[in-house]
Amino acid sequence: MNEIANAKKTARPTAAPSDTEAPLLEMKGISKGFPGVQALDSVDFDLRRGEVHVLFGENGAGKSTLINVIAGTFPPDNGSFRFEGRDIRGLTPHQARIMGISPVFQEFSLVPDMTIEENLFLGREITTGGVLNSGAMMRRAKEVIEELGFHLDPKKKVRELSRAHQQMTEIAKALMGNVRLLILDEPTASLTEAETGRLFSLIDRLKHENVGIIYVSHRMREIKELADRITVLRDGKLIKTLDAEGVSENELVELMTGRKIDVLFPAINHAPGETMLDVKDLTLANRAVEGVDFFARAGEITGVAGLVGCGKSELVRAIYGLEPIESGHIKVGGEPYLHPAPARSLKHGICYFPSDRVVEGLALSRPIRENASMAALDLAQFARMRVLQRGSERRVIQEIVDKLRLRPPNIERIVANLSGGNRQKVMLARGLTRETKLFLFDEPTVGIDVGAKIEVYELMKQLVENGAAIVLVSSELPEVLHLSKRLYVMHRGRMVAELTGNDINEQAVLSSFFQDENQAETA
Amino acid sequence: MTVRTFGSHAHPETGLERTSRIAASVGLLPILLVLMVAFMAVFEQKFFGVNNLFNVLRSTSFLAIIAAGQMLVLIVGGFDLSVGAVIALTSTVMAKTMAVLSASMPDQTAAIITLGVLAGLGCGVAIGLINGLCVAFLRISPFMVTLGTLSIATGVGLLLTNGIPVYGMPDVFVKGFGRALWFGLPATVYVAVALIAVVWFIQARTKLGRYIYAIGGNLQAATVSGVPATGYLVLTYVMCSVLASITGIMMTARLGSGQATMGGNVMMLQSIAAAVIAGVSLRGGIGRGEMVALGALFLSILTNAMNLLRIDSKMQLVVLGVIVVLAVALDELGKRRQIRD
Amino acid sequence: MTDAARSPAEVTRFFHRAMLIQAILPIALVLMVLGFTIFEPRVLSPQNLLNITIQASYLVIFATAQMIVILTRGFDLSLGNTVSAVSVTSALVMTGMAGAEGESVGSAIFLGILMGIAVGAGIGLFNGFAVAWLRVNPFVATLGSFNIALGIATMASDGRPVFNVPDEFSTLVYSGTIAGIQMPIILAAAVLVFIYFVLNYTVFGRSLYILGGNPRAATVAGLPSRRYLMMAYVLCSLIAVIGALMLTGRTGSGEPNLGGNLTLESIAAAVIGGVSLRGGLGGVQSCILGALFITALSNGMNLTRVDGYVQMIVLGCVIILAIFLDRLRTTRA
Repeated sequence: MNEIANAKKTARPTAAPSDTEAPLLEMKGISKGFPGVQALDSVDFDLRRGEVHVLFGENGAGKSTLINVIAGTFPPDNGSFRFEGRDIRGLTPHQARIMGISPVFQEFSLVPDMTIEENLFLGREITTGGVLNSGAMMRRAKEVIEELGFHLDPKKKVRELSRAHQQMTEIAKALMGNVRLLILDEPTASLTEAETGRLFSLIDRLKHENVGIIYVSHRMREIKELADRITVLRDGKLIKTLDAEGVSENELVELMTGRKIDVLFPAINHAPGETMLDVKDLTLANRAVEGVDFFARAGEITGVAGLVGCGKSELVRAIYGLEPIESGHIKVGGEPYLHPAPARSLKHGICYFPSDRVVEGLALSRPIRENASMAALDLAQFARMRVLQRGSERRVIQEIVDKLRLRPPNIERIVANLSGGNRQKVMLARGLTRETKLFLFDEPTVGIDVGAKIEVYELMKQLVENGAAIVLVSSELPEVLHLSKRLYVMHRGRMVAELTGNDINEQAVLSSFFQDENQAETA
Repeated sequence: MTVRTFGSHAHPETGLERTSRIAASVGLLPILLVLMVAFMAVFEQKFFGVNNLFNVLRSTSFLAIIAAGQMLVLIVGGFDLSVGAVIALTSTVMAKTMAVLSASMPDQTAAIITLGVLAGLGCGVAIGLINGLCVAFLRISPFMVTLGTLSIATGVGLLLTNGIPVYGMPDVFVKGFGRALWFGLPATVYVAVALIAVVWFIQARTKLGRYIYAIGGNLQAATVSGVPATGYLVLTYVMCSVLASITGIMMTARLGSGQATMGGNVMMLQSIAAAVIAGVSLRGGIGRGEMVALGALFLSILTNAMNLLRIDSKMQLVVLGVIVVLAVALDELGKRRQIRD
Repeated sequence: MTDAARSPAEVTRFFHRAMLIQAILPIALVLMVLGFTIFEPRVLSPQNLLNITIQASYLVIFATAQMIVILTRGFDLSLGNTVSAVSVTSALVMTGMAGAEGESVGSAIFLGILMGIAVGAGIGLFNGFAVAWLRVNPFVATLGSFNIALGIATMASDGRPVFNVPDEFSTLVYSGTIAGIQMPIILAAAVLVFIYFVLNYTVFGRSLYILGGNPRAATVAGLPSRRYLMMAYVLCSLIAVIGALMLTGRTGSGEPNLGGNLTLESIAAAVIGGVSLRGGLGGVQSCILGALFITALSNGMNLTRVDGYVQMIVLGCVIILAIFLDRLRTTRA
């Protein structure tokens, strides 16, 4: 803390009379490019003291890049950046924190094997000549945690905490110094209702202390409750900055996607056929899924909605063979499917598209051709007697790539150089290299632009209308609401609702969460 | 880096996992130590002879210091393969310096010793700087860099001495320190204890210690929190090499001559083994100096036991290798319980 | 976000830079040989160039062995000692059987080779099992087998060379020629052709690259990752067996120290030539280039009478340089 106080003395000139009209943060014409991608294109953004300014947009719209520029992670290529009236150049994350810019990112900046107290004070330890003053730091840590209303034990190692508690630690860490600008990047992703409520009252308090808050989200409910102003980004460009007062949801979605709602999602002719997948009483070894019954039919899209961490991803992963199963029965195409494993699932005609393409799906240093054919190397088209048929491989993959409209269609290109949308297409190509009857989509449109999204939805429409069964797992409510013929809702590892027809609406989904919460709390 | 959660409902432990977890928390090491001593009590009482115990204590001191240095580098997420070569280089440089100075100014023993020791430490600093700068600034794999400096240091040592031992160090250095007994225990033990205490203090009570853990635990988090990671990385590699140097100095003082074959790959492997047995993670971020000292003790007792039992030295290496593999495998298994990766 | 359009000028510049980095090594190789020639004209003589090629044949084989596992983000520290163990055990069998009554030299050699293969395969299986199934870090796993192999080599030989390996064997792998080309070159070429085929034309080979690029993705895509990873280590050791037998034939005895510096040199040769320690990059051309470079370096230093100890220093510096180059290569423009 001494560091920060000292730094402030040297960094700030004698205080001018406070001018609450001048913005706390003013950014004009900010551009930032990465290899293969223009993340920000001449964006203007400003933030007033004491306001909650929501940064709204799809994944991949540029929100992350903008807040990273503000937090000093990397500099913009162009544009001006003024904070508290002063021009900022060459900002480092450390300097940003000293100046009072405190980001809370989705990827935590915590050291897992250190305790909460050690993490809170990282970079700002209280020392006497290099020796730590543990007593003082522990006391202060407890103070801060209590002020925030969190229930954390500062002696615990971060590794042992639940994701929600890690998030709270991250927030506490951000509030350790003298905060003037707080950035919250999708903070409620893994919090319960109660914890979210505490966060909101915290935000309220900060507003009264004249702290400027940038709140990144694409969830309507939160925006309605919190926002003073909303800035919508799309494809790296500023679309509009507007007052939150009186803005309608539809208006926001249209601004965000650039399309009218009815154009974004195609109309699908579901023709439910045989039951492709039948799951009974499934429980996973790690209890992420408990006692779940679930089925999906050919010719229709079966959606699974729920908050982050509810187990919906684990459900489809277990069916594919990536999560250990403790008990339950799975039937694929009417036949019992024992001991699921990826190779066997593929042979049974099941294809899984992981939510994290980079970690689980793609070998970034390899070309498109190899990534697309990875899952089909046991087929004669690609390899006979384990010897690769390179000519045949090239032809087949090129066909699929053309069909999916991957641009540019050069299959020797290294996947690392592709945009999110194109990377997803490479993953989808995998599903088309084999005879697949059951597609398991896990958060398929995370991190891809609107144009690519529409193409993914189109593909899903084609697959389903050609008789495949699709299970769509998504945390994006609009997506899962508009595309599913039947919708399941999961909460805390259990199936809490099965909706069909007109019951598929936001209200029904949300109330099924509350019901389960209430039951859990009264129990 | 995303810190993953672990499910609040974990699957029931298997027997092996349970054993590993208990072993991990109590500390496998104390148990192994007790077992070893008990084994020796039954099979080879010669172990408990005073001279033998002194030997064990001495080799523990040497190993503990160099293993502590290796630990620091492991915590920070790196590797130091050159520590054995640093011992050799230090040995030859220090001995040569002392010999040359003894010839030119024969009566200034204090100065001779001081300058000789400084020269030796200088080797550690130099190699450590090369390692640290390459890893931190050029961002080269520590494995390869230290493989390179291993070759360089060994070459320099051999070049200086042509493989012949260097004599001519002041008697008081050898008899008064290297081979001496202070208050009934080998002098080198006191040095080792003092150094381990220093390392413990750094790790538990100083900013430096915390930063080393942070850099190894999550480099990005550390940098973003304002930790000057590159500087501390270089410092860590220097500390490791200096500690190896100190070991070289003590071993040379005991032997009475500078040898380019001192230390070498065997001690390098032992330093890693001692650290790994003591629970230092190869992924970084975890490790305690006191435990590493215990690891060194265990390895020394083990080597001594094998010598007493007339087990061939090459066979001993085999045992060492197997132990390291087992220790790491168990460590991984224990960790698998905690992280849902 | 859409892919940004790149101006033609940018694209050309990017390619030029990539090609330049790739070309550094061949250019350096040529420059180095020319440099040595200035001090010692013999370096460029046809006899010497042939010498270099024969010498490099051994290193190429070991570099290729290492490459197989480096591709999967691993490495084999035990390579050197495996070579020693194979040398000693195969020599023991060959000399033992050749002396016995009624045994033809041919069968003695055959059995000796089998023994070598068995020992190599055993060590490879240990490595592969530890890394692929026990999930042990390759450093630690091969450290273990390093010691085990050393143990086998010394115990089997009592620390002394096993003399009197049959002459026919030496002819087979060392002094013999086919169409006027010495056996070492032929054998090395055969290994290179075989590995080239495996890496580029088999599912196993393709999987190695994918395992190096993203092991998790390989599993999710249904590839038998663990089995292939283990096979990689076994293949590595088996290729090392070939090199070991060749070296044994050359010295005419089973040497418990044959492996010496081989581990270090094989890794250095592979990485200098372009095999990335991060995995997923590299091919037989990398091994050829790297082996030639290191061999030419030693050869040049020997002919210009550079002190043996200084050579060690030079090797160390070269390794560091090579890794630095590797880093440059794998950073995107």
